[in-house]
Amino acid sequence: MSFNALIRKLLNKPDNSRSVAKKRLQFALVYDKLEVKDDMLEDLQKDLVEVISRYFEIDRESLSLDIQRCEGSSALILNTPIVAAKHQKKNQEARAGA
Amino acid sequence: MDGKVIVVTSGKGGVGKTTVTASIGAALALQGKRVAVVDMDIGLRNLDVVMGLENRIVFNVVDVVQKKCKLKQAAIKDRRIDNLFLIPASQSDDKSIIKPENMVWLCKKLRREYDFALLDCPAGIEQGFKNAIEAADEALVVCTPEVSSVRDADRVIGLLYAHSITPKLIVNRIVPKLVEKGDMLSHVDVVDVLSIDLVGLVEMDDAVVVSSNTGNPIVQQKDSKAGKAFNRIAMRLDGHPDLPVEDPMGHDSFWRKIGKKLGRKKQE
Ligand SMILES: Nc1ncnc2c1ncn2[C@@H]1O[C@H](COP(=O)(O)OP(=O)(O)OP(=O)(O)O)[C@@H](O)[C@H]1O
Ligand SMILES: [Mg+2]
Repeated sequence: MSFNALIRKLLNKPDNSRSVAKKRLQFALVYDKLEVKDDMLEDLQKDLVEVISRYFEIDRESLSLDIQRCEGSSALILNTPIVAAKHQKKNQEARAGA
Repeated sequence: MDGKVIVVTSGKGGVGKTTVTASIGAALALQGKRVAVVDMDIGLRNLDVVMGLENRIVFNVVDVVQKKCKLKQAAIKDRRIDNLFLIPASQSDDKSIIKPENMVWLCKKLRREYDFALLDCPAGIEQGFKNAIEAADEALVVCTPEVSSVRDADRVIGLLYAHSITPKLIVNRIVPKLVEKGDMLSHVDVVDVLSIDLVGLVEMDDAVVVSSNTGNPIVQQKDSKAGKAFNRIAMRLDGHPDLPVEDPMGHDSFWRKIGKKLGRKKQE
């Protein structure tokens, strides 16, 4: 930390434009990359549906996957109604196989 | 042994690609290498005026690619610095006149003829950029400590990686006073965000403007901070990769001054 930054911290002054710039940059870069790879989100959604379906019966149509920008970070938000749990069934299958 | 083709690129315009190309080219030649600087900004040539060679253009890089002349005929010899040559862009053509496969051919010729060929890339990431990076061995990415410039640099770095080139970074137009005041990104911030290897830091320097007015190489002005920085970058590119990068903030930072004072006391 530079001397000036230290003084600022001690005096509880608002962020200087340098740190604002850095934060904005870090966000922009994360965002740009997600934007560039739009089909990546689609692929991810397909993979997630497949994995989740192993454990839960889900409504594939109403599943949504979004990237949300919150204060201080970006979040990947997956939203899906669960129709039924498959856990039991899987165990039974395993037992039947044994 | 074959030489190296190094593309100088940035994404964003006006950040110093042409200045970097001319200066590092001159510095490498002064270090005894045989150097060509090639203006790939077809239709908007600049490198010739920055180098003060605009009155001597006969052939250009498009002529070479179209085999209207030999590479050697298009290469203008700098009379002040031995072994420094400029291959100018054409002013009347469009960037699409050169195809990527032409670049493979051209770079092969350049490697055979020179120790270093520096390609001055146009701004943007379109055809002109694609041509310039097509057959390059290495890349220097230039950016200034501004949000828009660093963001564009990041995009270009991604495209270079996708093309199997690992770029090195030059941060240009640093104003230490602003960084110290907390009103400019420091090079540490920039490297932190881009996470690539740094090869040089260049301060904002009035001497750069003066030297581009007169067409005289900045690297020959011994008292210029930017000139010194370019000379050191050239050394790093030419066999001294571990030469430390000087911190422009180093001169007058508070802690360093204190440190120096304490250090002196200890010695006494
Ligand atoms: N370190 C520096 N200090 C002061 N001025 C500089 C510095 N570097 C570049 N400049 C000035 O900034 C301007 C733009 O530089 P330059 O032409 O090299 O950029 P460029 O990236 O090649 O631009 P373009 O994208 O248009 O080709 C010029 O006027 C140049 O003299
Ligand atoms: Mg230029």
